[in-house]
Amino acid sequence: MKRKFHAGWRPLVTGTALLLGLTQSGLAVTDRPVNGQAVYRRWCVNCHGKEGEGVKDKYNGALQGDWTLEKLAHYIDRKMPDDDPGKCAGPQAEAVARYIYGEFYSRDARARKHPARVELARLTNRQYVLVVADLLQQFQGPVAAVKETHGLRATYYSSRNTRREEQAFERVDAQVDFEFGTNGPAGVAATTNGFAIHWRGSVVADETGEYEFSLKTPNGARLWVNDDETPLVDGSVASGTTNEPRASIRLIGGRAYPVRLEFVKVPYNFKAPKNPNSGIVLQWKPPHGASQAIPARNLSPERAEPTFVVGTPFPADDSSAGYERGVGVSKAWDEATTQAAGEVANYVLKHLDRLAHSKASDTNRAAKVETFCRGFVEAAFRRPLTAEQNRIFVTLPLTGAPKLEAGVKRVVLLALQSPRFLYVGLDNAQPDDFTVAERLALELWDSLPDAELRRAAREGGLRSREQVAQQARRMLPDPRTRTKLRYFLQQWLQMNRVEDLSKDAQLYPGFTPEMVADLRVSLNLFLDDVVWGGTPDYRRLLLDRDLFLNARLAQFYGLELPPAAATNEFVKVAADPHQRSGVVTHPYLLAEFSYPKSSSPIHRGVFLTRNIVGRSLKPPPMAQVFKDADFAPNLTMREKVAELTRPAACQACHSVINPLGFSLEQYDAVGRFRAREGERVIDVVSNYPNDDGSVVQFKGARDVAEFAAGSEEAHNTFIEQLFHQLVKQPVMAYGPDALNQLRHNFVNSACNVQTLVVEIATLSAWHGCEKPAPPKRKS
Amino acid sequence: MNAIHRRQFIQRVGLSAASLPFLMGLPSLGLAAPARPRQRLIVMFSPNGTVPTAYWPDETGADFKLKEILSPLEPYRDRMLILRGLSNKVRGDGDGHMRGMSCLLTAIELFPGNIQGGSDTPAGWASGISIDQEIKDYFQSREETRTRFGSLEFGVGVTDRADPWTRMSYAGPNRPVAPISDPYQMYQKLYGQLQDKEDLKSVLDSVREDLKKVGKLISAEDRKLLAEHQALVRQMEKEIAEAGRQKLRVAPPTFEAGIADQNDNVPRLSRMQIDLLVNSFVNDMARVATLQFTKSVGMAKMKWLDINDGHHTLSHEQDKNVEAVTKLTKINTWFCGELRYLVDKLAHTPEPGASGTMLDNTLIVWTNELGKGNSHTLDNIPFVLVGGGWGFRMGRSLDFKQTAHNRLHLALAHGAGHRIDTFGKVALCEGGPINLG
Repeated sequence: MKRKFHAGWRPLVTGTALLLGLTQSGLAVTDRPVNGQAVYRRWCVNCHGKEGEGVKDKYNGALQGDWTLEKLAHYIDRKMPDDDPGKCAGPQAEAVARYIYGEFYSRDARARKHPARVELARLTNRQYVLVVADLLQQFQGPVAAVKETHGLRATYYSSRNTRREEQAFERVDAQVDFEFGTNGPAGVAATTNGFAIHWRGSVVADETGEYEFSLKTPNGARLWVNDDETPLVDGSVASGTTNEPRASIRLIGGRAYPVRLEFVKVPYNFKAPKNPNSGIVLQWKPPHGASQAIPARNLSPERAEPTFVVGTPFPADDSSAGYERGVGVSKAWDEATTQAAGEVANYVLKHLDRLAHSKASDTNRAAKVETFCRGFVEAAFRRPLTAEQNRIFVTLPLTGAPKLEAGVKRVVLLALQSPRFLYVGLDNAQPDDFTVAERLALELWDSLPDAELRRAAREGGLRSREQVAQQARRMLPDPRTRTKLRYFLQQWLQMNRVEDLSKDAQLYPGFTPEMVADLRVSLNLFLDDVVWGGTPDYRRLLLDRDLFLNARLAQFYGLELPPAAATNEFVKVAADPHQRSGVVTHPYLLAEFSYPKSSSPIHRGVFLTRNIVGRSLKPPPMAQVFKDADFAPNLTMREKVAELTRPAACQACHSVINPLGFSLEQYDAVGRFRAREGERVIDVVSNYPNDDGSVVQFKGARDVAEFAAGSEEAHNTFIEQLFHQLVKQPVMAYGPDALNQLRHNFVNSACNVQTLVVEIATLSAWHGCEKPAPPKRKS
Repeated sequence: MNAIHRRQFIQRVGLSAASLPFLMGLPSLGLAAPARPRQRLIVMFSPNGTVPTAYWPDETGADFKLKEILSPLEPYRDRMLILRGLSNKVRGDGDGHMRGMSCLLTAIELFPGNIQGGSDTPAGWASGISIDQEIKDYFQSREETRTRFGSLEFGVGVTDRADPWTRMSYAGPNRPVAPISDPYQMYQKLYGQLQDKEDLKSVLDSVREDLKKVGKLISAEDRKLLAEHQALVRQMEKEIAEAGRQKLRVAPPTFEAGIADQNDNVPRLSRMQIDLLVNSFVNDMARVATLQFTKSVGMAKMKWLDINDGHHTLSHEQDKNVEAVTKLTKINTWFCGELRYLVDKLAHTPEPGASGTMLDNTLIVWTNELGKGNSHTLDNIPFVLVGGGWGFRMGRSLDFKQTAHNRLHLALAHGAGHRIDTFGKVALCEGGPINLG
């Protein structure tokens, strides 16, 4: 067992602004004031540089972090300078610590030196895909949302011919997962002419990404997904015995897509085929999922309209700040936007008459097409066009091309290459009604303003903070908000970094890829349930004892499903509150932060430190490898980790990481509750050093969850991460008090996540609008 | 059928998508003379067997007389090889037409499957790669023979149906390659990027202007990002201009608009496709091509020859039906006429950057899925080779007397410099490549 983790994490405490006053007063006051700057120049500047920026090959990193002043002074007193510890001690250490802290170390100092601001940003890749999808949707009529998901509409025919008179019956099939044997489906008259089945409806994608659809059948079948004309999977020729025709398609999460599946069993008139059986399984492998029959909860008998999903791959967005931001451009990105614009242009040309509501025979087709073009550009730019813009972006490309279609292509290429489409915040200096609408739509949906928001912008309905908040509240139940919020929660819980959750097959038999996929669904359902089902209280995320389980999971984790529950479906089950506490003990995360053969208190501890308890850790200067074989076999994992991280250099961080990680030791590498590790009873008691110097005793996972649920740092981390995910700008750019204000309101709203989303959207959409400018048109 | 990634699919067929990497500086069109003479291969297919008595010369050796069906090739008599006695000996699932078609170039069995023919067991796709794709892969694997497309699959009047009767090219087991029957679609595939380039060029200038204008509205700090973006746009403009200097050797052919893909247009569609094929070879977009007329069991009604019966129906008539035999001879002679048109074009086009003509470096294989229509025999499959450049001694009529056609495919591979020991069904490769030297 080898996996890298880092020893020597530097614990850094957030929220130092509030602690500053306390710790300063705690410092010793001496008779002779020491000049901190002078001390710094004497002892520190050689390795740390003039502004604490670091010196190559001496101390590379910048001298900044979230330790309290007191802790900083204490550390310098004992450890600095590096080559002669103890030389810079007592009052000198205190003075230099105060100097460092005030000049560049602390968050406030950094904010003062480099004030955060709302930056110009381009659309992130995620936003690009969603914006383009909704841009084209605007011209294709209203989208009928799928209301029920419980299977596909099926028509059975008593012949390979699917004429009406051959129809045997219709019904809804929860899944397409059939073995008909040699006789065919019950109720279909056995004729010598084979039989056929057509399934229709929609498939609902949970997450955004590549979906691989496959057809497991010895017969012929074709599958259409999100395209009524060209089949995605053409398996009309069955060939070979192990052949499962398959194809991938990119889908946007939280949306329904039309599907159609046509199956035919042909008669064999001459000699018997090698395989006389018939049957079909409609399978998919969703992102982070396993290949299996599409579950009923992702199928609907209602038909959705196709959505255009950009297929061009984009280079990954910058996420160095912990969230994806559009802060850089590159050649690869420029080429991707060009290619994607071409893709959209081709789609528009192929469907031009549908989009422009015209017909090839229309005498005024050119006029209709021009109207469409103007609408397209306005939607892309998120604001009305001036006469001059209309000339540049619509009239000139249309008239400059040899044919109408070529002109349309140029309009699309130009609009989608224009900074007015690609960038957000061109109007930050003077935001107007359309800026506010654009911000709201991107913040809540990663997409374009809808008709209602556009109307509000046009009619001056976004002129007060309350009007903006009202719009945000209206937009909240939209599936796109749900999708974005779920994406945030997944990022918060680091669910999107997961590559491989597989465990040692000998130690954890039955923990199959299908189980891992089920666990992800289970966690997703839990997150949705907290945020949208009943009381959207952040603390429920940490404290609820409910688990969503299907039969497979219930059996594995030793819980009982209600007797009436369908085997494939997920049911909310109340677990023992001593054993389960929200996301903290969700098996998916416990398994994620584990080794293939054992739990990993360090991975779990680091995750809890950063994301749940809300203390930040700096990347360590050196990497260590945990080797199980290095330890005596009778040691517990806790003992091994304690031993490994015993050196003082490690303890600086591991004094925080370890107690958090140890409190989850009652869960094995697949997240099952356990009282013992081998022969040894698990020691669940751990002492956690709080920021204020006090020690908190945890007796297991629920104690950690309860501590976090009431912790200011934990709230700050949650709010800040949510803010960044929604707004794609640093919260500090919205004023030094923005985060405190949001937290204050959050706590007062009983930690209501929905209210918090509205607050954040309103705060950032309204930024700079206190004195709203009249709608302005720029050229 | 193997997994086709939707995104790759879009890149493969989407015009703008496919063209962009090309604009961004893929290999140039190879204006310089090649170090070694180019080698090209065309496989032309026509269906339903031939009329042996009007096809095979009575003589073997260099001294032979062409019969009626092959008579259009008279001017090229000394550049032909007529290969009698090659048989498709692959057995297994599928009826004669299916195996005739899908084993013709693959020389390996079909997988068991669900497609039921007029006799025999049902079958699926071929279980191996076809020789045209094998040679294409070989060419594409080497820098000096690599081209933009590698191979192009042209169809004339192939129905829009995918099954073992309609596919002869296979990229691998269970991976049939669909021919493109619509010349306009093929034109887009070959030359669509020219229009795309024009469109892109026309907008980039405006984009740059717009970036400049927008830059004035925002803070100096934010302007840095737009300046970077502007530089990228300028770079793209330069690259497009650069690509524009890589002139095509010959301009794309000009087509009459709106020739629908239907039976009566087959003669015109045939000429359009052949024009495109030769054009794409001159521009060195590919070195391998297939040209598939209809499909196995093809039912073309050659009204332009005053024949109103479907081709396949006619092919089932008994030999004593003189009228049918006459019509079938006429039909096959017409196909040979199309071959003649192709050969003429190649013979009249100078080899780019070298001496001689395109025909000197292009080998055409004309073949059929059956030896004879009414018997459905897979023996004596018509194979006629025309052209040069593959090291074969042309100008002969040979009889291989019941030799597996795998060995012809081996000879083709070796002719291309691809020295494989077996191709298709291993047991049928005994004896190695047939000797054409």
